[in-house]
Amino acid sequence: MDTEQEKTALDKKVRHHVYDYVMREGLPPTIAEASSALSRSPDEVRDSFQRLADGHILVFQKQSGEILMANPFSAVPTPFLVRVGGRSYYGNCIWDAMGIPAMLKQDGVIEASCGCCSTAMNLQVMNGSIDEDRGIAHFAIPAAHWWDDIVFN
Amino acid sequence: MLLFWSEEHVEKWCKDWNLPRGESMPLDKCCRLAQAWYSPDRREPDWRRRTINEAEALFAELALTSEFWRLPR
Repeated sequence: MDTEQEKTALDKKVRHHVYDYVMREGLPPTIAEASSALSRSPDEVRDSFQRLADGHILVFQKQSGEILMANPFSAVPTPFLVRVGGRSYYGNCIWDAMGIPAMLKQDGVIEASCGCCSTAMNLQVMNGSIDEDRGIAHFAIPAAHWWDDIVFN
Repeated sequence: MLLFWSEEHVEKWCKDWNLPRGESMPLDKCCRLAQAWYSPDRREPDWRRRTINEAEALFAELALTSEFWRLPR
C-alpha cells in the first residue's frame, strides 16, 4: 500500500473500527484485534494508528504502543467511570467523561470524585445536560498547550 | 481537566500542586462543551478534526474567549 489515497482510505476504516469497537466494548481495540477484524497486517494497522495519532485522534501507551486514548475514551481505568446503557467506559478527564454520553447519544452516569479531597461525586447526564448545582470543572492547562502532554491534562 | 467539589477545592489543589490557577466552569457549561465537541460521529468517513478556527468558534459560542482558550497556530 503506497499511495496517499490508499492510506487515507485505510485510516478512515481504522478510525471507524476503533470507535465502533470502543463504543460497543468499552475499550479500544488492540493492534492484534484491529488487524484481525480489518484483515490487515499488524504493521499496516500500527502505521495507520500512528497517522491517526499524528492527527491527534489517538494517543498511545508509551511502553506497548497500544491505544491509550481514543478521545473521549480511555483504554485504562481513570477516576472518571461512565455508565451508559448497561456498559461501562472510562473518560480521560471530566470533559471527556461528559463527552461519552454525548458520543453515544444516550443518558449516562459519571462516577467520579473531587480532585482535591476525593469525595465521591456522581453526576447524571440526561438529555445532554447536567442538573447539578455543586461541582466545578477546572482546566489547568491553557488550550495552546493541551497537546504538549495530553495525558497530563 | 479535573472535577472539584467547589472553587475552594480548586484553589487548594492548585496550591498543593504548585500550579497556577487555570480556568474553571460550572458543570452544566462543561457538559454543553462536551456535547458540542463530541456529538459528531467519529465513525463517519467524512468526520474530521475541527480546524483551529472552527474549534475557537465553538469555544466562543460558550463565551470561552479569553487568551486561555486560544489554540496554537
